[in-house]
Amino acid sequence: MSTGIKNLVQTLDSVDFLKMDRRTFMKAVGFLGASTFLSSFQTEIVNALEFAETKIVWLHGSECTGCSESLLNAANPDILQALTKLNVNLAYHETLLAQQGIWVDNKLANTSELNSEILLDDLIKEGNYILVVEGAIPNGPNGSGRYLVLGNKPFKDIVGEAAKNANAILAVGACACWGGITSAKSAVVQETDYRGTAFLKTDASKGILSELNIDKPVINIAGCPPHPDWILLTLGAVILGKIRIPDDLPDILDQYHRPKVFYPPDHVVHDNCPRRGYYDQGLFEDQAGGPYCLWKLGCKAPYAHGDCAIRKWNNSLSVCTQAGPCSACVEPGWPDSSRPLYVESEGKGVLLGENVGTIAKVAVGAAAVAAGVHAVRRMKGE
Amino acid sequence: MKANGNPTIVERYSLLDRVVHIVHAAAMLALIITGLKMYFGWNFMSFHTARALHMFAVPFLLVVNWFLIPVSIVLATGGGIKEKFLHFLDHYVFGPRDASRMAGIIGNFFGKGKYPAFTIYDEASGHYKTKLHPLMKILIVLEGLAIVIIAITGIVLYSLNWSLFGLPIASWILSAGGLIAPSFGMSSLAFLRTLHLLMTYWFVFELVVHVGILELDPNVWKYYKAIFWSGKEDLKDTHYVKIVKTPSNLADKGRRNH
Ligand code: HEM
Ligand code: SF4
Repeated sequence: MSTGIKNLVQTLDSVDFLKMDRRTFMKAVGFLGASTFLSSFQTEIVNALEFAETKIVWLHGSECTGCSESLLNAANPDILQALTKLNVNLAYHETLLAQQGIWVDNKLANTSELNSEILLDDLIKEGNYILVVEGAIPNGPNGSGRYLVLGNKPFKDIVGEAAKNANAILAVGACACWGGITSAKSAVVQETDYRGTAFLKTDASKGILSELNIDKPVINIAGCPPHPDWILLTLGAVILGKIRIPDDLPDILDQYHRPKVFYPPDHVVHDNCPRRGYYDQGLFEDQAGGPYCLWKLGCKAPYAHGDCAIRKWNNSLSVCTQAGPCSACVEPGWPDSSRPLYVESEGKGVLLGENVGTIAKVAVGAAAVAAGVHAVRRMKGE
Repeated sequence: MKANGNPTIVERYSLLDRVVHIVHAAAMLALIITGLKMYFGWNFMSFHTARALHMFAVPFLLVVNWFLIPVSIVLATGGGIKEKFLHFLDHYVFGPRDASRMAGIIGNFFGKGKYPAFTIYDEASGHYKTKLHPLMKILIVLEGLAIVIIAITGIVLYSLNWSLFGLPIASWILSAGGLIAPSFGMSSLAFLRTLHLLMTYWFVFELVVHVGILELDPNVWKYYKAIFWSGKEDLKDTHYVKIVKTPSNLADKGRRNH
């Protein structure tokens, strides 16, 4: 952790953090890692939340579970510590809970203690939880949503029911935000018709909730996967009531519903990349493996609104561009908006598959030839 | 407009015209060179120097294009708004007569016919009816549009949250870009940056056409002196020049036919 952040923590230590107004709070949260945040303010948080337990219902759609893994990767606090500190009851999370879906003779059997589907039903009926959606929601085939079914219910309908009774909805990861990899261009994408919770790519009218005529705000924690801090700190802010839903959302979220503290509209990953010095000197790699800037190898960090390069990943150790080009996984419409991944954006085909550089070379070349012929003729006075 | 003394020497470009052209050319060259330096990473200066020079040249380009050129057009004629507008059309906008000249020029390029005159001076009124090569007139309008595009996209590259009088201009531009960008499979910012680059290439192309095709001709070199220095044209040199004498009662009619 940098000394800058330590100083900030010391400063913040001396103020009553829970009395901070929302703006200052969000600013502080933007600077801190979840570990710093939670350990610095543990006592205040626990006091404030003494009796109020917050339930989380975490649904998994069509996905790789990488977002949950990213969250599990958080250390100090690890997810258990964090949940304890925030007084959270992770009531339903398919890959972490012990229950299973139990069916006997085509009927749900047993109780919520053992049967996850009964548990989910009960939780939704009780209401008063935060809904987290991880993974995309298939709308196909033909709008039925039956490409993903839990028990005998299309996942699409489960998300709809869960959304209706939720106090707050978080879409975690590119797939849940806007379809992500599942909705990338492919031969089957029309059929499967994967949707994000509130968006399809950049289109806010095609999220699965709009499809279901549910008008509820969704906070998008973008990324493939998102940083554990982004998830935990947003959850923390919602739980502590520092983000009032929906009143504060227009102020806090950008046009793609990402919290601006973590996905700053005025800042891109490229601004603080460890390779930035090479960029400034015009030293670009043209093949993988070297130390220089990866722009010409297709680094999309100049288009990626995220605090990755400041916050760093893997417990503040490193950031993607240290290994290879950034693919701007936090951006709406990813991955199509970043494809081809290893070609710089300006090098993308725009006309008949040619990029602007080639088009320009041909046009300027043709003009130069014409100029030559023209000049010769004029000089001959024809 | 006749100069004193020699009756065949007339003013082709006013002082303001010449200043505008020189500053425009210098700013444009500076922008192309520093811009492409940033893009290709040419190693003759640092990114920060290039960016600073780039931003230094921007106000010159914009003041010339969006302020001085309109002023120069307004000052070029007497009369009212209609007069000025017609002068602007005749001098800078590609019209049917330019089209027929252009056809003659293309014919000539492929070995058919004479190279038509594109500068028409009216002795009766003492004014040019038109001055510029028809291809120039096409380029001028496209250049004006390209400058608007490059300026708009440049704002976003300059600062992602640039605002003017509290209006969040840059985020408006980003939102507008976001409406088009997905059809190119790009994010708004990537799209705007690619447009910025494309316009730069357009200016390079235009420069090659402008200097290479229009001006690489010994018979046109008289105009170099005129645009960079003297502003004068000697009508005795009849290359590409036609002198007409329109009786004043016909002048208006001729214009309407234009
Ligand atoms: C008129 C207003 C203009 C503004 C406000 C502007 C602004 C900028 C800025 C801030 C950058 C740096 C991008 C970065 O930080 O990476 C840039 C890049 C560039 N500019 Fe401009 N510029 C303008 C006009 C022009 C013109 C007239 C040209 C050329 C004729 C030009 C050519 C370029 C090129 C080639 C780049 C590099 C593009 C890239 O990084 O992909 N710009 N411009
Ligand atoms: S590697 Fe990517 S983020 Fe890093 S300086 Fe180069 S372009 Fe920017």
